[in-house]
Parts: sequence; structure tokens; C-alpha cells
Amino acid sequence: MDRLINIDRRIIFIFIFLGIAIPLLVDIPLPIKPTPTVRSVYDEIERISVEDADRPVLVSFSYGASTVPEMVPMTRAILRHLFSRGRKVVGICLWPEAVGIAQPIMDELAVEFGMEYGADYAFLGYKPGNLAVVLNLGQSLAGTFPFDAAGTPVGELAVLKGVRNLKDFSFVFDFAAGDSMEFWWIPFGQEKHRFPFAGGCTAVMAPDLYPFLQSKQLVGLLGGLAGAAEYETLIEAPGSATAGMEPQSVSHLIIILFIVLGNGVYFTTRRRGGKA
Amino acid sequence: MLFMTRTLPFLFCFAFGMTGFAIYYVPHEWAQSVEREFALWLRLVYAFAYILGLVSLLSLHWSKIRQRQAGWAYSLIVYISFGVMFLFVVYNDGNGPFTSQATTGPYQWMFTSIHVASSATMFSMLAFYISSAAYRTFRARTPEAAILLVSAIIVMLGRVPIGAYISDVIPDTMQWLMSVPNMAAKRGILMGVSLGAIATSLRIIFGIERSYLGGGGD
Amino acid sequence: MTKDSYVLIGFLGLFAVANASLVASGVLALDWDGIGVIVAAGCTLALYSFLYKDNPLFKFAEHVYVGVAAAYIFGITWYNSLYGEILVSYFDIGAEGASGGGHNPWVLLFPTLLGLLMLTRFSSKFGWLSRISFAFVVGVGAGLTIPRYMSSFLLGQVEPSLAPLSMSWAGLNLLLVLIGVITVLVYFFFSVEHTGTVGHAARLGIWFLMVSFGASFGYTIMARLSLLIGRISFLLDDWLHVM
Repeated sequence: MDRLINIDRRIIFIFIFLGIAIPLLVDIPLPIKPTPTVRSVYDEIERISVEDADRPVLVSFSYGASTVPEMVPMTRAILRHLFSRGRKVVGICLWPEAVGIAQPIMDELAVEFGMEYGADYAFLGYKPGNLAVVLNLGQSLAGTFPFDAAGTPVGELAVLKGVRNLKDFSFVFDFAAGDSMEFWWIPFGQEKHRFPFAGGCTAVMAPDLYPFLQSKQLVGLLGGLAGAAEYETLIEAPGSATAGMEPQSVSHLIIILFIVLGNGVYFTTRRRGGKA
Repeated sequence: MLFMTRTLPFLFCFAFGMTGFAIYYVPHEWAQSVEREFALWLRLVYAFAYILGLVSLLSLHWSKIRQRQAGWAYSLIVYISFGVMFLFVVYNDGNGPFTSQATTGPYQWMFTSIHVASSATMFSMLAFYISSAAYRTFRARTPEAAILLVSAIIVMLGRVPIGAYISDVIPDTMQWLMSVPNMAAKRGILMGVSLGAIATSLRIIFGIERSYLGGGGD
Repeated sequence: MTKDSYVLIGFLGLFAVANASLVASGVLALDWDGIGVIVAAGCTLALYSFLYKDNPLFKFAEHVYVGVAAAYIFGITWYNSLYGEILVSYFDIGAEGASGGGHNPWVLLFPTLLGLLMLTRFSSKFGWLSRISFAFVVGVGAGLTIPRYMSSFLLGQVEPSLAPLSMSWAGLNLLLVLIGVITVLVYFFFSVEHTGTVGHAARLGIWFLMVSFGASFGYTIMARLSLLIGRISFLLDDWLHVM
């Protein structure tokens, strides 16, 4: 029994690797059922597309390179939905690394949906300051981002015509790998300006954000790769998140089996009066 | 000198802290413009903090190289890779450093090929270690540990499609766990944390908490 | 030569052979995109070699990453803030400066001074000046935080916890939320001894906390595995093209 518990950890590593690699190579179709928190985001974008079609949407990229596999699929899914409904989108970065990741995605999807830079969407780049950027945006957009990422004064961008501050956006969405939703956007932005606010975050962050869903400070939430896969299902555009759900499911099963096995050994050994 | 090194920073902290607090409750345009300036100032000071971090990192590795500490050659690699990337930063795809940032060229190439790949890999390695740790240490030794274990398993199953494939009850239970007991506990923690943060903020403003001034008598 | 040295050389040789055959078979082009994929695969595998054991290849990749990341962050800060917001406003340089946008330079004098004072941290003689900058950041941060945390996290969270109850599943859930919040707060309240009724409430609070920690654990596993899926997808698809 002791040998079973003390197996070389690299054997467990191999199981995890195979649990991911094999489902990536072999198709195992599994149904993806959108959860209410994800569906709320979809419904909100549908709602503003009808009821508040003139005002642009602000998307904030608050993630870095370390969480690309989780955050990029949801970035694509949300932007795809917004562009497909002809929504005007303004992108900003609250994390420095997000610039090199988010801008190419925005440009690529804009081309796919025939959106014109400046008129239909804009990318304003990064500003340091975390919560101070959100606070500043609540007072003045041009005072926070005087230029877009290409150096054009924001006053010259048609997409920002009539936008003075956060209140003038129909919807704000934050892609968060850290605590930007919880500790920057909600207390320093949403609390005062009361704009419809939703977000997509890494799975690590998701459980912490549930209190804000019930209090309606968050309209909806995409949690991790599973949240992105559910969104891809809703917009009927399966992508890398949907493909990732097969290895995700199998690897979860493997870990659960390891936990059950570990506990089985533990209780068997304890019943025999040994130590595990 | 003590006034300059200890009292003056405290007075700064008190004055700015009290003003930052008070202007929230004053809807007058003047108060709003003060808040706007504070936010702008904070943002710009943060930008300088990046230089502080950068110089600190490079000094650390420089001292390793200078003192030929164990593994100093790796510190040299930090300098070389920093230097190469720095040249590309300044080069800016042929546009130079006094214009907006180029979105193509060697700078973006290095970012995608090295930075993104390495950063994502580093974090993904935790998957292996967390799995190994779960197998070795995640035991239902007590009723509390059993609750934790069962909750984790329901979430792990219910959050991915395999849960719904086995039974619809699993994702529904997961959803309930997240929206009711998990949410209640997180709300309790959030309230506790925010009370703590408010108390600490008050201690800072009134000079009871001065650790941000650093050590040393002066 | 030790066994590990052979493993290292074998690993490097295999990587070289794999890339040579990928390029020779036309799977990877020998242009900047193709080389980028090879470099990214090299970084990924070098870092994963740590799973076998700590080794020079891992350390090399790790330190290359640190250097590149430091310069990248500097670049972003330079173009978006130090140049793109501060220098442009002062000196009207570059395309942005010529456009007449930016801030009033007089407004920037004080924060620039604070920023520069922060850099005196490295001087043993003038390092105390940096305390003024830190005092500003910490003081303003504290002042701005208090009312917003009270509003968002205390009042904003108390209100939905005290929502009217009803004789339904939703009402029962609301009651459970209320009980959960109160008992968790009781558990964290250490000024009263956790005995009797308080002890029972605190114990119930622990159960709520355990459910929440279990959920966090499950989600953390999911997050890390998602990142791993991303990297393995990259290796199998973008590099080896076997997917």
C-alpha cells in the first residue's frame, strides 16, 4: 500500500499528459450545456444590440501571457459575438502584456466581420495604474487615454464620438486573469456609474466572483475555458475552448480517480492500523 | 532631518488620504476635478514604479555577476536576453522610440515566441504538481475535509461536459453549490477582507501603520 | 558523463532532428513564423524538462524569459505611458506630440516629480525622498478605497443577503445564503470565544467555508489543466501538426 502512495510523481505526470494528449488526438464528442451565468452575458449583449445599439461597448483586457490558453478563447468568443451583432467596440488594456495579445485578435476578427478601424472599433492600448485607470475612465476617457495605440488622438476616432466617460458605454466587459473585476472595476467604476458590467475570468478567480452575480453588480460571468466553451456553444462558433473540453473532462476524471484511489489506500491502511 | 524623513511623508499621506476620502462625498465639480487629478497622478507615478522594478531586477542580477555567485552565468543570460529585446523595443520595427508602438516586427515576434510560450508553460506546469499533490495529500481525514473533498469533486465533474454526460444532476448540483454555499462563504470572506482593508486604510491615513516608509531610523 | 547529461544531449538531439524533419517535409516553413514556432516549442519543452528534474536547460529558458519579459514590460510602459503620455505632453515630440493631443504639461509636473522621487530609492543619500512618493501612493490609495469598499463590498453585499424570503426553493436558498454569511462572519470573529451557540454557528460557518474551498480547489485544478491543454495543443498542432 505504501508503495502505491509513494509512486514516483513522474508516473502521475505521464497519466496527466496522456489524459490531455489522447483526447486532443481522438475525437470524443461531449455535450456542452451553457450555465446561467454564461447565458446572462449572451443575453445582455443581445439586449444592448437591440435596445442600446448606438453606444459603443468597452472591453478591458486585464490578463497576461501566462493565462493565454484560458483567456484568448473567451476573448475571441465575446468579440465575435459583439462584432457579429455590429456592435462598436473600444478595447483597452489594464495589464501590460495584454497589448501584444489582444490587439492582433481584435484586428483579425474585425477583418473577418468587415469592421473598420476608427469607425467601428478602436484599440486604445495600455495605461499603468490599475484601479486608478478605472477611476480616471469614470471621469474622462480622453484624460485617461489621450491617444489610441497607433497614436491617433481619441477625439478623431468616430467610434468614440459622444463618449466622455464610462457612463457613455452601453456595456463594459472585463477579461480578467487577476482581481481586476472584483477590486478595480466594481468599487472604482461600476459602484458610481452603474453601467451594465460583466466579465470573463480565469477559473481560479471564478468562485470569488459569485457574490457579485447575486448582488447584480455583475450581469454575468465566463469562468475559465469551460465558460469560453459554453459561450462558443451559444454563438454557435466552436473553437479552441470547445475542443479543449474533451481533454479537460478526461483529465478531471483522471485526477478524481487519483484522489479516490489515494483515499481508498488511506482508509484501507487506517482500518488495518497502519499509517498512510 | 527626522521631520523630512518621517513626519513629512506622514503629513503627505494624511493630507492626500483625507482628501481622497472626503471628495467621494462631495458631488461639487471642484471635488470631482480633484479626484480626476488624483487618478491621473496615481497612474503616472505607477509608470515610474515599473522603472523601479526593472532597475531592481537588473541590480539583483548584476550583483550576482559581479560577485560570481553560484549560477551567475544565468544572470548573464538575463542581461543578454534583456539587451536583445531592449534593442528591439528601441528599434520599434524601424520607427524608433519616439512614436507609437509597432504591432509587428521583431519585438512582437520575441513576445509571441518566447514570452507568451514561456509564461504560459510556467503556469501550466502547476497542473502536474497540483495533481500529484491531490493524490498524495487530499484525504477525507475529518468531516470538514470530507466536505471539502466532495465539493471539489462535484465542481470538477459538474463544470466540464463529462458531468452532464454522466447525469444532469451533477452540473445542477455544482451550480447550486457555487450559487448558494460557495457564494455565502465568499461573501463572508469578502466582507471580512473589506473590513480589514478599511481598517488598514484608516491606520495608514492616521499614521498608526507606517511600514510603507520602510525600515531605518531616518 | 552522468546519466542526466546523456538525457540532456539526447533531448537536444531529438529536438534538432524533429525540427529538421518538420522543415524538410514542409510542415514548418523556414521563415520567421516557422522559426517562431520552433523557438516557442523549444522554450516550452525546455521549461517542461523541469518535470524530469531541475536542469541547465530549464534554467537557461527561465532566465531568457525573465530578460525578455523585463524588456517587454519596459517597452509597453514606454510607448503607452512614459513617452506616449508624459514626454509627448511636455515636448510635443513624435507624431502624437505634433497632433496637439495629450495633457497640459503643468498638470503633469507634480506626478512627474513624484515619479522621479520614487527613483531616488536607489540612492543611499537621497533615498528618503522616495518616501514622499510612497506616502502619496499609499495615502491616496487608502483614502479612495475606504468609501468605495464600504459601498461596494459592505452595503452592496449586505443588501442582497437580506432579500425578502419566500416559501419556495429560491426563498430557501436565500435563507441558506443569509445563514452562510452570518456563520462565516461569526467564525472570523475571534473576539468572542467559540463555545456554545457561537461555537455551533462558527462550526456551521466552517462547513460553508469548506464547500467554498472545495469549489476553489476544483476550479484551480480546472484552470491549471486548461493552461496545460493550451500548451499541449500548441505542441501537437502548431509545432508537430498531428492534430
